[in-house]
Amino acid sequence: MTSHTYDAIIIGGGHNGLINAAYLARAGKKVIVLERRPIVGGAAVTEEIFPGFRFTEFSYVVSLLRPEIIRELELPKHGLKILPLPSTFTPMENGDYIAAWDDHDKTRREIYRHSPKDADAYDDYARLMVRMAMAVKPLLSLIPPDLASLSPRDLVGLLKTGLYAASLSEKDLYAVAKLVTQSSGDLLDDWFETDALKGTKSASGIIGTFLGPRSPGTAYVLLHHYMGEIDGAFRAWGFAKNGSGGVTASIASAARALGVEIRTDAPVKQVIVKNGRAVGVALENGDEFHASVVVSAADPKRTFLQFVEPKYFPDEFITQIRNFRVRGSSGKLNLALSELPNFTALPGEGELHRGAVSISPSIDYIERAFDDAKYGQVSRRPYIDIIIPSMIDPEMAPPGQHVMSCFVQYVPYDVEGGWDESKKEAFAENVIATLEQYAPNIRRAIIGKQIITPVDIERIAGITGGNIFHGELLLHQLFFLRPAPQWADFRTPLPGYYLAASGAHPGGGIMGAAGKLSAQEILKDGLR
Amino acid sequence: MNSYDAIIIGAGHNGLTTAAWLAKAGKKVLVLEKRSVVGGACVGNDAALDPAPFSGGFLRPDIVRHLKLTQFGLNPAPVATDLISLLPDSRQLVLSADPVKTAESIAQFSAADAAKWPDFVRFMDKAAATLEAAYATPIPRLPKFSPTEGLPLAQLALKIRGLGARDMYAFIRLLPMSAKEFLDDWFESDALKAAIASLGIHNANLGVMSAGSAYNLLHQYLIRGGWGQPANDLRQVIAALESAAKAFGAEIRTSAEVARVTVENERVSGVLLASGEQNSAGTVLCSADPKRTFLSLVTPEPLDPEFVWQVQTLKMRGVTAMAAAQSAAPLPAGTLIVAPSLNYLERAYDAAKYGQISEKPYLEITTAGNSLSIHFQFAPYFLKNATWNAETRAKLESIVVDTLETRLPNLKSQIHNLKSLTPLDLETAFSLTEGDPHHGQLALDQFFFMRPIPGYASQKTPIAGLYLCGSGVHGGGGVSGIAGRNAAKAVLKGSL
Amino acid sequence: MLRTTPFHPRTSLINQLQNWRRWSGYYTAGLYEMSHEREYWAIRNAAALFDVSPLMKYLIEGPDAARLLDRIVTRDVQKMSIGQVIYTPWCNAEGKVLDDGTVSRLGETTFRMTSADPNLRWLNLNAAGMDVSITDISDQMAALSLQGPKARVILNRCAAKSLDGLKYFRLMENAIAEVPVTISRTGYTGDLGYEIWMEAANALPVWDALMAAGHDYGIAPAGILALDVARVEAGLILIETDYTAAHHALIESQKSSPFELGLGWAVNLEKGPFNGKQALVAEKAHGSEWMFVGLEVDWVGMERLFHEVGLPPQISPLTLRASLPVFKGSAQVGYASSSTWSPVLKKYIALAHVQKPYFEIGTDVLLEVTVEHQRKYAPAKVVKTPFYEPEWKKK
Repeated sequence: MTSHTYDAIIIGGGHNGLINAAYLARAGKKVIVLERRPIVGGAAVTEEIFPGFRFTEFSYVVSLLRPEIIRELELPKHGLKILPLPSTFTPMENGDYIAAWDDHDKTRREIYRHSPKDADAYDDYARLMVRMAMAVKPLLSLIPPDLASLSPRDLVGLLKTGLYAASLSEKDLYAVAKLVTQSSGDLLDDWFETDALKGTKSASGIIGTFLGPRSPGTAYVLLHHYMGEIDGAFRAWGFAKNGSGGVTASIASAARALGVEIRTDAPVKQVIVKNGRAVGVALENGDEFHASVVVSAADPKRTFLQFVEPKYFPDEFITQIRNFRVRGSSGKLNLALSELPNFTALPGEGELHRGAVSISPSIDYIERAFDDAKYGQVSRRPYIDIIIPSMIDPEMAPPGQHVMSCFVQYVPYDVEGGWDESKKEAFAENVIATLEQYAPNIRRAIIGKQIITPVDIERIAGITGGNIFHGELLLHQLFFLRPAPQWADFRTPLPGYYLAASGAHPGGGIMGAAGKLSAQEILKDGLR
Repeated sequence: MNSYDAIIIGAGHNGLTTAAWLAKAGKKVLVLEKRSVVGGACVGNDAALDPAPFSGGFLRPDIVRHLKLTQFGLNPAPVATDLISLLPDSRQLVLSADPVKTAESIAQFSAADAAKWPDFVRFMDKAAATLEAAYATPIPRLPKFSPTEGLPLAQLALKIRGLGARDMYAFIRLLPMSAKEFLDDWFESDALKAAIASLGIHNANLGVMSAGSAYNLLHQYLIRGGWGQPANDLRQVIAALESAAKAFGAEIRTSAEVARVTVENERVSGVLLASGEQNSAGTVLCSADPKRTFLSLVTPEPLDPEFVWQVQTLKMRGVTAMAAAQSAAPLPAGTLIVAPSLNYLERAYDAAKYGQISEKPYLEITTAGNSLSIHFQFAPYFLKNATWNAETRAKLESIVVDTLETRLPNLKSQIHNLKSLTPLDLETAFSLTEGDPHHGQLALDQFFFMRPIPGYASQKTPIAGLYLCGSGVHGGGGVSGIAGRNAAKAVLKGSL
Repeated sequence: MLRTTPFHPRTSLINQLQNWRRWSGYYTAGLYEMSHEREYWAIRNAAALFDVSPLMKYLIEGPDAARLLDRIVTRDVQKMSIGQVIYTPWCNAEGKVLDDGTVSRLGETTFRMTSADPNLRWLNLNAAGMDVSITDISDQMAALSLQGPKARVILNRCAAKSLDGLKYFRLMENAIAEVPVTISRTGYTGDLGYEIWMEAANALPVWDALMAAGHDYGIAPAGILALDVARVEAGLILIETDYTAAHHALIESQKSSPFELGLGWAVNLEKGPFNGKQALVAEKAHGSEWMFVGLEVDWVGMERLFHEVGLPPQISPLTLRASLPVFKGSAQVGYASSSTWSPVLKKYIALAHVQKPYFEIGTDVLLEVTVEHQRKYAPAKVVKTPFYEPEWKKK
């Protein structure tokens, strides 16, 4: 048994854990990151599954790695390159397609082809979304206060939240309130009439959630697409060089450069508590590490129900964490292809292959996919978000061949009867059969496939329930309720123990924000 | 041309409440009702046994007191009837006002749930009281309101904090939850959860798995005063309100259809009847739903087109059909529901999402002697590839009868005189746009300061002198009189 | 690829630099020759032919057509006679300008609206509860603009009916090369001019006929660069350059009322309710904080700024669509949004937003200019617009 002493121990080498470590190290702290797997990256790793073909197993696009994190940690120096993913192509069931290209006039023209009304509304809608993104952005970096507390910190937090609300114009405040409470289906029905346009837009409101586009609370997530436009990233979506693993590799490199020690193959058994305070971590192999604070970048269930004995938490808190919803809803099918999919709606190789392809012909289509999942079935006709990383980054596949990442929803964690090989194959078959409807050559082109279900995500990435956001983005699991009331500020009922990942405010999809904000709070508490 | 202090459009329970309240304050009030009878959605067409959109409800106690309604024949203090879930295996789950009796019934399904029941009811009562306080709070325009306007809001905030950290957070969390999630946190028995969750979808275009159905659950619990429908006759409620209003001096005219609210220089000047008659008043209170009010009772010119758009996109989308019938055989007393499981209710709602009538519907049956009133969900106003006509009505009625038969065997041969109201009937006969009895879905985005339109939750409208006093505003939805009372108070507080 | 207008088969052959700009998703010529000078002088001295097909065009028909437009625009549409055209801005409910364009009354219940920005959604929003149909005819309809003192002669040579009786801001049905056209006496140059509207499918014969008829009168196809100079001389505003459409604005200060854009003459506060009326009545009562005015730069002062560094004045012949701060003493009191050298006036002129009270005619202000990488301040005076208005414009 060996023992080591640090200022901070971070459990989990996913992007949030690494970012948290980097910021603590940047403040001069001695930090170690303990990662269970042989590689860092959590859900964002890139691996070679077939010879010559490299896949980002789970995450697939860099939606919103906070630009200030990119700048402050100088990630481009450490190899980060975010390549554009310029278009979205949606084949339709009637053989036509609708696309959003990387040019405003071209996109307008494309939508106009389907509906002049929608072409007009598209611009107004985009402007509203940009204004809303401006309005919501400050909220993401606010530390949620405890409404019941009278401590100066919470009162200041409450005041800040109030001042923020008062700083909005009446129109914007109401628009934000509507957006937060609406379903994406209702919002889009109010604006547009073209089914495939609405389907594709609504899809971005349900990614990673166990909700259908008709579920209230999904409209807010649509904003994420517009965040990039206002915060200096200038692009809503991007694909990282070397896949999402490229992102974590660059964060890890930046963290190491700042003095962070990263230890892989180091699964944590337990957090060591002394005198009611977290003082260290014991690994499964018996090694112990000691530190002033312990930071968990694991999901809330693991953080509070597995690493720490329940006696250190109030019963109420344990109940709340048990009730925290973490149902995974998405899966992936990664394909190695001998040729590009040829879409009947727009045949041949073209611009569309360099962007996203979305199988989302209508809101009803996605809602029906959700209906299956509600009752414990894999969607018979799922929503699929496809990118072909080898078109953007030629190093991902042998020349002339391709890797294709299919993000699939809904793939419930709790599938009726449990997951087994035949269910996995059936899930892959659903996806391939769906794709075949739009790109008939797909079956012939497949030379290898990797099937990932929420159960695989749980097993490999260590995320309970396989939920890519560490907890569903439900209205009652956001802001001051995430992960539990009174504990939304990254602190926990156990002094010295912090939560620093997507299960905390502001949640998944806002990459890295939890890691950075939690580091700030830890430093505020005067980390010794 | 006659001149009044205030003209009220619509003599439903809210319109009558407003009229009585204003008349009692000494105002010269005229009520204009399109139908030949007063009572709006509380009173069916002609025969006493005709179905009405609402099968139950009662007025808030403060309204009963203020308007002295017991003096006008109102049966005081109705109690909620038992909510009896009729299960397919012919077991019954009874939720009653008596917690001990209810716990016993629940114990058939889960001892753990039975043990939690008293705590649950305690929480529900506290949460309902908080919601009622919220409904009585006038909502100023946000975010820049004056301290005077803000005072009631601050009082409400203090009241919510007064619940204590645990219940406060439980209350706040409840609002955006689905009924299923809310109940999953408490109970394990599917039958129990489904029976309670049926309140969450009652009159709502929501499933038990839709966010916001927990709020509707709480709303229904508040306005019912318990689990089943209140044991009183809505005709009697209306008769008492009518007598009170008249006794206080209000003039009520039936068969008086309003063509338009007249506006001069962006201010209300009166009401023009379809007959061509003009009545003038500086204050007009409209108890019609917001869509009817802003899209057909006023001309669009004085309104901001963005506001009109918000009205156009208000979610009405009724999903309720009603039926009434008589039975030769005796009926069990109480509020009977067909809501056997959460998945059953959710599947009933799934049909509505795609414009279909639920083949296996959620039913709520209230009985009085040999009469049954049947509340049916989901029967969406907007049918896909079909309209509401004789054929779809026949289909609806046969589903009603077949479903009843599964729970009350042999009823099929006993019932006669079945009459139904489709959502389209609710619209044409009761002026409920898209057949929505709530004048706008009680959904999260149409709740509190966003009901009916953000910025206009306090009964005022963009047209000076025009107020909304129907169910479509903050506090409204179901038979409670809250919206009517709030409107009367707002007007009296203003410059009338 | 951008879209091409119905005249592209002709214009693409004569665009010597293949200089194309974007206009509402179409290719539009910046200029046709190596310099825009001849094109500009054609406007002022002969006739210039512009392809204005990318304009947004809407057909509004039905019993409530006039009522709808009256609700939208700030001028009185109900009073328009058939065959009349009006130029008008339109506002949101806060009285801030959304767009400006023309409304033509083609019949008792038929109107055509042209605009710079798409307005289909706004038209539909406003039409709630009205008996009216709105059709986007932007693609179906091609448009040419013939501007300059010789425009009428040329048209008279090729049109079926004489244009002599067509008054300023009126339109007539006519035919050119046997193609039915509508001709309106309108334009964006402040000169004598006409706009010719036709089915997109029949566009080319009209172009050919006009070019042939104008040959002896110095007709020149002209592009955006020449047009931009002429419209500043005429004091005409350009959306997204001189003002931000209210629904595009991200902050309040980007929005302008019609009064603040110098379009108070086009606001009729006497008519019934229309979008923004209440706000505009209030603004009129209080007076506007801003005004859109002409600035005439003192040439001697300008020359001196260059002389100080030993250079002769170096002024671009192109209209500058960038913001130049306007000062009174050391305080900024506004900004010029379009500025240009006026070849016909031999003056440097600008269109500027100026704060109260400095927008009064005759006020001396300073315009910031960059001379040899240094900020300088050129003396300028607030003047009435248009800067240039030939007597034949309205005759």
